[in-house]
Amino acid sequence: MKEITFRLKRPLKVPVDASCISPDILGDKTNEEILSFELWEGNRKIHLSDIFTVEGDAHTSSDDLEIRLVGDMKKVRRIGRGMMTGSIEVKGDVGMHLGEEMASGRIIVNGNAGSWVGSRMKGGSIEIHGNAGDFVGSAYRGSRNGMKDGSIVIEGNAGAEIGCWMRGGLVRVKGKTGTFPGVHMSNGTVLVEGDCEGRAGAQMTGGKVVVLGSLPSILPSFVFEEIRDKVKVTEEKLSGPFYTFLGDVNENGSGRLSVKVSSNPQLKWCESYVETLED
Amino acid sequence: MTALSEKIISDVVCTICGTGCDDLQIRIKDGKIIEAKNACAVSISKFLEQHAQRYSSPMIRRDGELKCASFDEAVCKAATILSESRYPILLGWSLTSAEATCIGVELAELVGGVVDNNTGFCHGPGLIGAQDIGVSTCTLGEVRHRADVVVYWGANPIHAHPRHIARYTVLSKGRFREGRKERKMIVVDVRKTDTARMADLFIQIEPNGDYELLSALRMAVKGEELEQQVIAGVSSERIEELADLLVRCEFGIIFYGVGLTMSRGKSRNLDAALSLVRDLNRSTKFLIMPMRGHFNVCGANEVTSWITGYPYAVDLSRGYPFYNPGETSAVDILSRRECDSALVISSDPVSHLPYSVAKYLSEIPLVTIDPHVTATTMVSDVAFPTAIMGIEASGSLYRMDGVVLECKKLLDPPQSVKSDVDVLRAILDRVKSLKGA
Amino acid sequence: MSELLVRNGYVYDPLNRINGEKMDIAIRNGIVVDDVGSSAKLVDASGMIVMPGGVDIHSHIAGSKVNLARMIRPEDHERDVESRTSITRAGVGRSIPSTFTTGYRYARMGYTTVFEPATPPMKTRHTHEELNDTPMIDKGCFPLLGNNWFVMDYLREGKLEECAAYVAWMLKATKGYAIKLVNPGGVEAWGWGKYLTGLDDPVPRFDITPREIVRGLCKINTYLNLPHPIHVHTNDLARAGNYETTIKTMDCVRDLYHGGKPIIHITHVQFTGRSGTDWINVASGAPEIADYVNKHEHVDIDIGQIIFTDTTTMTADGSFQFLLHLISGNKWANTDVEAETGGGIVPFHYKKSNYVNCIQWGIGLELALMIKDPWRVQMTTDHPNAGPFTEYPRIIAWLMSREARGRVARKLNKSAHRRLDVPGLDREYSFYEIAIATRAATAKTLGLKQKGHLGLGADGDISIYAIDPTTINPSRQYKLVRRAFRKAVYTIKEGKILVKNGEVVDTVPGKTFWVDPKVPQDTYEKMLSNLERKFEDYYTMQMSNYPIGEEYLLASKKIETVAGS
Repeated sequence: MKEITFRLKRPLKVPVDASCISPDILGDKTNEEILSFELWEGNRKIHLSDIFTVEGDAHTSSDDLEIRLVGDMKKVRRIGRGMMTGSIEVKGDVGMHLGEEMASGRIIVNGNAGSWVGSRMKGGSIEIHGNAGDFVGSAYRGSRNGMKDGSIVIEGNAGAEIGCWMRGGLVRVKGKTGTFPGVHMSNGTVLVEGDCEGRAGAQMTGGKVVVLGSLPSILPSFVFEEIRDKVKVTEEKLSGPFYTFLGDVNENGSGRLSVKVSSNPQLKWCESYVETLED
Repeated sequence: MTALSEKIISDVVCTICGTGCDDLQIRIKDGKIIEAKNACAVSISKFLEQHAQRYSSPMIRRDGELKCASFDEAVCKAATILSESRYPILLGWSLTSAEATCIGVELAELVGGVVDNNTGFCHGPGLIGAQDIGVSTCTLGEVRHRADVVVYWGANPIHAHPRHIARYTVLSKGRFREGRKERKMIVVDVRKTDTARMADLFIQIEPNGDYELLSALRMAVKGEELEQQVIAGVSSERIEELADLLVRCEFGIIFYGVGLTMSRGKSRNLDAALSLVRDLNRSTKFLIMPMRGHFNVCGANEVTSWITGYPYAVDLSRGYPFYNPGETSAVDILSRRECDSALVISSDPVSHLPYSVAKYLSEIPLVTIDPHVTATTMVSDVAFPTAIMGIEASGSLYRMDGVVLECKKLLDPPQSVKSDVDVLRAILDRVKSLKGA
Repeated sequence: MSELLVRNGYVYDPLNRINGEKMDIAIRNGIVVDDVGSSAKLVDASGMIVMPGGVDIHSHIAGSKVNLARMIRPEDHERDVESRTSITRAGVGRSIPSTFTTGYRYARMGYTTVFEPATPPMKTRHTHEELNDTPMIDKGCFPLLGNNWFVMDYLREGKLEECAAYVAWMLKATKGYAIKLVNPGGVEAWGWGKYLTGLDDPVPRFDITPREIVRGLCKINTYLNLPHPIHVHTNDLARAGNYETTIKTMDCVRDLYHGGKPIIHITHVQFTGRSGTDWINVASGAPEIADYVNKHEHVDIDIGQIIFTDTTTMTADGSFQFLLHLISGNKWANTDVEAETGGGIVPFHYKKSNYVNCIQWGIGLELALMIKDPWRVQMTTDHPNAGPFTEYPRIIAWLMSREARGRVARKLNKSAHRRLDVPGLDREYSFYEIAIATRAATAKTLGLKQKGHLGLGADGDISIYAIDPTTINPSRQYKLVRRAFRKAVYTIKEGKILVKNGEVVDTVPGKTFWVDPKVPQDTYEKMLSNLERKFEDYYTMQMSNYPIGEEYLLASKKIETVAGS
């Protein structure tokens, strides 16, 4: 693997569109060629050299290239957009649309990420070691084409509407999430290991939402199905027990919402439905 | 025969809220409005106090203080600020004419900025919801003629849209509905408002419980049993009663306000409401409409959509339109301190938006265009006084249901005060020459 | 004084019976003239086809439902953007382009006149605001009258002349061009969420049938001497087999025809040209419709040809749109307009794997190939309902080349392929016939005397395409044809070069055509007092605020007619 490191050389204020920063685009280029690549800083077109210094050597095929970015990239958007190979590592915070439409390859962020991480992703993997914003793995406005495959893991917390219109793959948040995880999802898995603010699985038609922490309430359009000992998330079997609900009935959905029993005493009411079924 | 210095102008269009009353009768004497017949209490004060809080000369901040300047100087300064910016925002547009917004969008395109209107902090959720679900709606006359069930959800028209109920809904008379006795009024709100007191059925909902209640209503409408006894503070029996009323009506409509759009869930609240209305159309005729507050925020959406493809929060910085509320909406850009200048027209964000946003606006180069002196004017670097749309300047506006009304010019603005259209065009032309276009 | 000379091109001007003749076209001050001076700007059209600028008779490009569709489909625009240039404004495209982009894309294909075919009268001010922002093309709009309360009341009461006076008032008030009917009576039923079946189902609470509405407006159209016949989107769009209703609609005014130009224009017949009893056995009703049109000269049609792509359906036919939503599960918008009409929007993707979509694809082409008189079958996609207008060149290739059709036909759903006639049809359009279907015939049926031809006095609207008709065989080289029609080498509008090699080099705002019919004064006044009495009852808008002033149009082009005789 060959590495190339971009170091941010000045603070940024207005947004930067850095969709050229991806191994597919920068692979097999000289450093000089790379530095002359254009990107948008607000309404001006600048060169990569205007904001980054470059060390290392990119003169290798894209799939062999690891791009490293160092600095506060909060304003830098669309890094790794549509990437199909290679890897990106960000040492610092990163802006919106990280890995949008990514098809393969790997992105790691040692910091926080903005909203729309892995939106419309088709494959590959993204790891955020800090927190992420809203709309992880989501579709674009008006579209139903959310994340199709691949995996996104957030070590910290995530915002609202993660996995929105998701069609496959895995979004895993080790910390907490905001409301509406898995909203409108049709397939795939959303796993929230911490607490969820609420409205999990809203309007889902398929797929799986699993909450290990607390979920204040279940939407009225979910019907209690059973108590499960374990729930499968990709290849892993998570120990429960779990209250499992079927929904969203309003969408004629056959998705499953599983909530860990031990973290959710306020949901004990659904156990009365277990007795009913046994009767 | 009226005296020469007195005249009456009929069929005047009101420029306050989205109700779009166009039957006002304005009496003018000696160049002042002295009577506004048919105007509601809110509207009367606008017409009769037209001269309040006005200023007549453009102003430029020099040595920390706003000082009078010539029109040309102010235009030059404004044009320079915008054309030198790397990420300007152009915000407002909801209280001015469609014609002015047309020029505004062109200006945003030319300077490579973001054009946004009040939708972002008001009824944006309804548009975002419609982008996922669609929207079943109509013009206001359809309600008057056909509706036997009218629901106000999170809206208090008695205060915010005073003539709405009498002109278009429960108290109105239509071709197929005699009036109050043939209509059922339902109000859903967190407290018993004056509008709720009028209702045949008032549902008091727990604050921020709208999504759950809508979800439960959808279940009940589908004939599904509710497992939970109480949802959002409302019993399942009550929910089923309401669902029954909705399904059995001949023609129903939900009017919703910021109680729904701005409570927890926002665009997902609207997703649920739009889905409910869509579901109801399998059994009966049902529609939904937002109670737009500003008289031409609808117009701002329409103009921005036909020119850029998107209704608000349009980022033109890369030369083409891009839309992504949360990213390209002015309030969020201001919160993140990302823009480096702003133009604000007929809007007072310093008074209405969070303190951090207001503070940031005062720190960046700011151009304001407004008939009145506002808090935003006071922190501007360039300020243009303008004619009041619908009183001192003509122009078109879009009512809450999308019907266009042409506003008349009733009298002249204070001396040397220009219209929004004239000010914007001058700035646009100046920017064009600065950019060598 | 500006002069332009288009030299040496192969001219196709069917209205003047010119079929590929090598000749020059001279333009002075925007009008075609005999000749020009030596200082005229020269455009060398050697080895290329020269046609009058394209005239699109039916394309949803402006107005409240078009704009609502834009608003609710950001995903339609996101990937198809146009950046601002020194000459052109920024915008977005795909199936519902923004207004400026609409103008540029039409011009790039060599189109110079386009009509918005369905504007709700009460909201037509909005339509004109959008048309004012649609440059490059001359335009107009058709107000929707087939579900109008005043019209239905008048016709029920047998007050034809007063109704005519009302229609005249409406055309002037809306600055409209022609009478449009969409699912006559059926959209009023949809105001209650109800449906009508066929032509003789009475409209609830109005006691009038679609047949009576069509006949009444047809008579009025003739009486007012309007330039274009009634423009009709027939009933039963949502029914699996609906071709019979289409033929019945054509036939229901046959007795009103006394020779001359057609008295009824049925639009996007593909959508209402299906046979069968349900969606499983639906098939093409094109042969029956073509047979009728071949035998009856009082009708002309446009086809509404399907393109296999993701597009957006939008029509005033609200009831159909709801059913399409139920079938497809796609998002759905509905826009009813008081006392007048309705509307609906549903995104839709036509697929070759879908049996019904394939039948639909076949119907449009069968109509074009089986109707013998090229003057009475015009090319449209009912943009964007059956496909975006930017795909017209694809249809041109299909019409001119059996092989081009065959390539698509081979990929169709197999059952559909078996049931369609189109795979076996040999006919191939000539360039002359293409010029008829896309310019000459549409201009003629619209009654636009200065459009669609290059004779003396015509507007100097010209499109020049990179095809040498003497060396190209469009039947085999259809890809070249398609490419050439996508990007005009020149698009000239009123003598000004607007497009060169498919790129916009200059812009013009374009004129808006509208019709002002004059009716007898006493009838008009009687109608007005009735209108004044009823207006506030029917509308939530004051009568004085309803009419649109001529100054509202960026560039107004009035056509006056006189009723009677």
